[in-house]
Amino acid sequence: MISDSVRAIWCRELQRDDIALDDDFFALGGQSVIMVKIQGAFLEELGAEVPMDQMFLNPTVAAVSAYIESLGVPAP
Amino acid sequence: MILQGKRVALPAAPVVHHQFEANARATPDAVAVVRAGQQVTYAELDARANRFAHYLVARGHGRGAKVGVCLDYSVDLLVAILGTLKAGAAYVPFDPAYPAERLQLLLGQVPGLALIVASPATAPMVASASVDVVDLEQLSGRLAALPEDSPGVAVTGDDVCYAVFTSGSTGTPKLTAVRHEGWFNLMNWLKLEYGLHSGSHNLVVSAFGFDLSQRALMTPLFCGATQYLLASRNFDAMMAYRILTDHDIRVVHCASSTLYVLVDWETARGGDALTRLDYVLFGGEALKAERLTEWARREGNTCTLLHQYGVAECTDVATSYDLAAYRPGEHDIAPVGRPAYNTDIHLLDEHLRGVGPGEDGEICIAGAGVGAGYLGAAGPENAKFTTVEVDGAPVRLYRTGDRGRVNAAGELVVAGRMDAQVKVRGMRIDPTDIERALGRLDVVKEAAVAVTYTDAGETELTAFTVPAGDAPTEDDLRTRLLAVLPRNMVPARFVNVPHIPLSPHGKVDRAALVESLKRGL
Repeated sequence: MISDSVRAIWCRELQRDDIALDDDFFALGGQSVIMVKIQGAFLEELGAEVPMDQMFLNPTVAAVSAYIESLGVPAP
Repeated sequence: MILQGKRVALPAAPVVHHQFEANARATPDAVAVVRAGQQVTYAELDARANRFAHYLVARGHGRGAKVGVCLDYSVDLLVAILGTLKAGAAYVPFDPAYPAERLQLLLGQVPGLALIVASPATAPMVASASVDVVDLEQLSGRLAALPEDSPGVAVTGDDVCYAVFTSGSTGTPKLTAVRHEGWFNLMNWLKLEYGLHSGSHNLVVSAFGFDLSQRALMTPLFCGATQYLLASRNFDAMMAYRILTDHDIRVVHCASSTLYVLVDWETARGGDALTRLDYVLFGGEALKAERLTEWARREGNTCTLLHQYGVAECTDVATSYDLAAYRPGEHDIAPVGRPAYNTDIHLLDEHLRGVGPGEDGEICIAGAGVGAGYLGAAGPENAKFTTVEVDGAPVRLYRTGDRGRVNAAGELVVAGRMDAQVKVRGMRIDPTDIERALGRLDVVKEAAVAVTYTDAGETELTAFTVPAGDAPTEDDLRTRLLAVLPRNMVPARFVNVPHIPLSPHGKVDRAALVESLKRGL
């Protein structure tokens, strides 16, 4: 599941392990510098190019995972 | 103590768009703007801006008017800015990444706002009963019928070209106005001092509302170079780095925090797009040299880092320092260098008398860049623009509230603040403004916001809230604030407290709150 990998990246970069699929990135205390790190991790670890505007429009693990799936990126 | 900038003669009418128009005449077919593969030449951009200027003048929004611009980075954004200037009016940027409620609060602060230029994506956020909102796309039929030559509105260097919002200390953002002479002088200095030319192509990476973005947007057009825009509402490091890699971009203007992000991106992936630049002009907070040292020493790095200082009230940049000369061991704080052309830095004591060499004083800025002051309700704050007598002659200057000194090499060093003004990641923040937003939430009875430090020594904001009933969760408060404030104003931490302590003078005792946090209460 892509959402498992996405959730693992979020947990690592936000330094918390209690992130649910529909928790909002900014409500979790996320800052834009952390978002850049997550964007880089998506690129390197999932081979997915997620523009920053899409990260803002899809600010949950569930939503951004669905976006990545829509790109047709194969699950790792 | 006075640091004097070089005196360089300006044209009789130092008007920013005249320089753009001269470039459009000299190189009409040169590319002025590139965005997502779309290109517009100087001649086309000039013609479109002229038509919009005619439209504004015909509607009575000519010289002295104020035009709001709430657009994502686009060709239309430059048409709106240049058209506004050509009409003799001043533009006010509104960042479309802000929440609608914040944008509404800001536009209510602009006295006599004539009109707002928006797009279908941004118009709902700035919709207003009292101000017209227009979309250049929708107007295109009407604009096409207007002349494509300049309306020829007479403008002087003293006319206001733009006004930007900056944080004060009263809970309400202030609108500070910049004059053509100051903006012209700033870009003329960058052009002559650093040799910027028609090949000095630029990429904009900062948010539209900031003063530095106005310079980043106009400098390439002032120099006859090409402006690259990100097809993104939010800063996108991946997209920015790709454009830097794929195009012959020479110059980037940004906040320190953005430079660190770009350097980290390059370092993590082993590219060389940043090291190939001619210049990065950056500043806004004390330099974190360790974030740049390794990158700066990379072989083949030809990028000059210009560490700059200035305030929005005085046209953005007042001094500049080439970091190549910086030795972290020898300097305690990285200098911000020497003044721009036609700009003087006065270091004054509390009686507005000059301090001696090496002594700390309040940094005051005099010269071409001194702005037209705060507009509208912030009137009383205009006392910071004052006139002092220097060697028997009156000098108009702006008191920045920053504390500084001049080092042995004759360079300005910024040492801190005279007051409690707060900066978080280089952005001026008014805690009262955030406290007001918290106070308007029905779950909060009372609130105070203070600056705290992370374990890594970064500044962040902590909100102390007295709940109005059941204590709200941190995530709940954060979500509610995100709906009404720009993201950089939303505190990183929220702490419920039983009451807000007051100092003996009856003011909110933020220091006591921060202390209670340290004690783990």
